[in-house]
Amino acid sequence: MSALYELHGVVKRYGSGDAQVTAVGGADLIVGAGEFLALVGPSGSGKTTLLQLLGAMDRPSAGRLAFEGRELGGLGDGELSRLRREAIGFVFQQFNLIPTLTAEQNVAIALAPVRMKAAARRERARELLGRVRLEHRLGNLPSQLSGGEQQRVAIARALANRPRVLLADEPTGNLDTATGEEIVALLRALSAGEGLTVVLVTHDRAVAGAADRVVEVRDGLLLEAVGA
Amino acid sequence: MVFLSYAWSELRRRRGRTFLTAIGLGVGVGLVVAVNALSAGLDEAQDQVLEPLTGVGTDMTVTRPLTRSEGGGFGGQNLSPKEREQLRDEAGPGRLDLAGAGKPGETFTRTNFVSAAQLSFDADEVGRLAALDGVADAAGSLTLNALTVSGTVPEGGFQPPQPGSPQAAPGPGAQRQSIDLDAMSVTGVDASKASLAPVTPSQISDGRYLSEGSAREAVVNVAYARQHSIAVGDSVKLGSKAFEVVGLAQAPLGGTASDVYVELGRLQAISGRKGRVNQVQVRATDADAVPAVAKAIEGTLENASVTTAADLAQRIGGSLVDAKKLSAKLGTALTIVALVAAFLIAALLTLSSVTKRVRELGTLKALGWPQRLVVRQVTGESVAQGLLGGLLGAAIGVGAAALVGAMGITLEASVAAADGPRNQGAGPGGGPVIMGGPFGQGQVTSGSTDVVLGAPVDLTLLLIAIGLAVLGGLLAGGAGGLRAARLRPADALRSIG
Repeated sequence: MSALYELHGVVKRYGSGDAQVTAVGGADLIVGAGEFLALVGPSGSGKTTLLQLLGAMDRPSAGRLAFEGRELGGLGDGELSRLRREAIGFVFQQFNLIPTLTAEQNVAIALAPVRMKAAARRERARELLGRVRLEHRLGNLPSQLSGGEQQRVAIARALANRPRVLLADEPTGNLDTATGEEIVALLRALSAGEGLTVVLVTHDRAVAGAADRVVEVRDGLLLEAVGA
Repeated sequence: MVFLSYAWSELRRRRGRTFLTAIGLGVGVGLVVAVNALSAGLDEAQDQVLEPLTGVGTDMTVTRPLTRSEGGGFGGQNLSPKEREQLRDEAGPGRLDLAGAGKPGETFTRTNFVSAAQLSFDADEVGRLAALDGVADAAGSLTLNALTVSGTVPEGGFQPPQPGSPQAAPGPGAQRQSIDLDAMSVTGVDASKASLAPVTPSQISDGRYLSEGSAREAVVNVAYARQHSIAVGDSVKLGSKAFEVVGLAQAPLGGTASDVYVELGRLQAISGRKGRVNQVQVRATDADAVPAVAKAIEGTLENASVTTAADLAQRIGGSLVDAKKLSAKLGTALTIVALVAAFLIAALLTLSSVTKRVRELGTLKALGWPQRLVVRQVTGESVAQGLLGGLLGAAIGVGAAALVGAMGITLEASVAAADGPRNQGAGPGGGPVIMGGPFGQGQVTSGSTDVVLGAPVDLTLLLIAIGLAVLGGLLAGGAGGLRAARLRPADALRSIG
């Protein structure tokens, strides 16, 4: 299994002087392609910051972070944006759907930067919503969907650009246990069925149990890596 | 399509903010439309006052005014001996010489055509002026005062006129009551160039205009006709000749007015001024050519004085002018303040909207939206608000303009007399009073008139106004969009973790 991510001594600090806070303090991690990895830890441990670094939303303050061999710290905003668009899918705890757009439009909006015909964009959105079993909810607004359905729309949106990695930040945090299990099962199926790399952040060890590998994050440090 | 449906849905979601932004821009733009419509209305009102005397802004009046020296003679000008002689004949002492009026006790009537304020010149000068570059046409005219003296020759007879005195004085023992003096201003016009003449067909209020090559036809000023109970079909006497009154004319405010108008050749003949004129009406090819033409005329005709539309406009006063000045000063300031305020409101609301949408815009950036797409989205929504504001502003402006029109506001335009000694005061019934030089030359209708204020709105103004609102939206959106684009997705989404 080739390495998708390589992290060596990655540090992320915020602020300066006395107010400086170290969110990630020297992380070493290798994530293989097709791996289902769970980052677990309590709130404020730095796992979301680490996920944002993996998602090319931010640059490390120190250390080396490479995606498919490319050092992310040296990339410009435009290149990071393109990387997010072409290789990375993101799923958020609070779904982050646009409330005024239908399920179909919420998926299609991820394809807005891609040069393709409107009909093809719509077709792709429908196909993805079909894969998460929401083909009957295409025209519904987020407010008309359950939490689980909203998260499935968010997963469909994250898959719109055929990413190589799916980063999920507490994807079950706003869902009941049963619905959360459905979502985890869906992510698991995507990883196993399509070889998609999944990095999942959770504070729920039961959810983490579905992963191939679990890494615990505490005070910005990766304390241990445990095989699932 | 995604861009449009997203923008539309966002504008609908934030109805209140969208409406508030549109209202802000709309009020600013509406004010621009209203102020400009009012300004156009004031321009129209002023044109309405000036139009009868200035045509389309291309007309000029050329005269050769004379100043009187302290001793009562004519001085100051560099006149040739021949011209001085001409002037002496036309206006010097002796023109009212009644010494030979008859024997004491006999009745007499004598009419003299006099001029003093303006020197006449050869009618050939009209052709020279017409040939100047930038001149479309020119027409000469002759304005004189017909002084009719009648009465009984006094016992002592009449003394010859003294230098500096315009008329003969009765001799010792003469009774002033036995002499009547009737003054009437009369203008000879070139009827073949009626549109350029001091009286034009458009000024005829009753009857008709002089026919070309007419025999003895006259057009009489309405005020003079009323004063002397003259109607169309009656006759007026100039010297020993009777002229049939074919029309009555209303003198325009600020225009040159005479009591009676006859054909130029007729007046030249009966006044003994064959081939002479003392006024030329010149029409320039276009308004822009007027200053150059005026300069050329002054260089061509010695001692010429050129009165342009601009000169006449400067003599218009009253609430019309006050309103125009107010419009020019306060209106412009108000427009600028309103637009700046509207743009600021739009910009602040857009920035505030961006702040409220940090998570949403951060999500889009996390999904890989490039900066330009985020800027386009925010700016597009803002431009749509601007368009809405523009339409709203256009409606507000048109409504305000319609209200002004419906109110029927009247403004007063008054015309001051030209420089020089003038008779002041209102005419009968508050109407215009004829102001002129000591002998009626260069008479100007002074007084006031009311014009109804309108506020015309043309399509170009509306398009400009809508364009301004869209520009406001664009600027506000640009500011908001750039702020949104600079957001780092990690910062925007931090509250999630």
